Amino acid sequence: MKISELVEKAGLRSLTDYKDQEIAGVYISDMVSDIITGAKADGILVTLQTHKSLIAAANLVDVAAVVFVRGKKPADDVVQLAKKAGIGLFTIDTDTWSFAKKLNELGIK
Amino acid sequence: MSTCSHRWSMVNIQNGYLVVEGCRQCKARASFFSAEASPPVDDYQDGEHYWTYLGSSQAVKFDLACDECGQVVDLKTMMGLMLSTCNEPDCEVARIAAEGGRGTWVYVAFCADSTHASGRCVSDEGITALGEYFNANINDPNKKIVVVPCRKCKNIDTCDGIVIADTGLVDIY
Repeated sequence: MKISELVEKAGLRSLTDYKDQEIAGVYISDMVSDIITGAKADGILVTLQTHKSLIAAANLVDVAAVVFVRGKKPADDVVQLAKKAGIGLFTIDTDTWSFAKKLNELGIK
Repeated sequence: MSTCSHRWSMVNIQNGYLVVEGCRQCKARASFFSAEASPPVDDYQDGEHYWTYLGSSQAVKFDLACDECGQVVDLKTMMGLMLSTCNEPDCEVARIAAEGGRGTWVYVAFCADSTHASGRCVSDEGITALGEYFNANINDPNKKIVVVPCRKCKNIDTCDGIVIADTGLVDIY
């Protein structure tokens, strides 16, 4: 599934422009030290964490997009770093569990 | 010299804490990784140093192993990674980033002793393997990760960058 399709089907709100690429997988974590050992390239990362170090970690493992749950939005400097790194940022009002169920229903694992 | 074109995987992944401490006497700073359930916070004397706990963050440690030839690169000396945003004209890390141009991201692998008084830092073998590992997973031809040891920083304690650390995650405010 492409990111644009996920945006439409899951009701994500985009916070940045994004490269509309195939989603290679999904990883859920709120710890940046965990992201560098667990997240995969071209996947999406689901998190509550809005700190800048999240983008530094996501960029290192070449995550395609980050989805902030519970309607969270990062600060402007975080958005700017993500734009520079080409990482799409999205937000959704549901909690992590509900969004994970939605991803599973859509066949993204 | 190995002829293997390595395909690295993370192994020996350990969760724990990166503990930072300072010497009351000479003001030196040092850090170490603790795999204990909670980070050690006791002061202690070690030779001429009187180390005091300054803080800690949740962290992870790992080594790299080649799936092809079985070589394991020990990254015990690496305490963490930092995305460099340094633009000091006389800092080698900033120069490497500038020379790399757009799409080049420089990450500093930092060791336990920011003074490098012992002459030790993250090994060249470790730096090479880290660069190969992270770049192997990148599909964008315009993107490149460059990993450098912290000894290349003009001053790692004041260098601009974003440390990949979970500082404050276990605190309740």
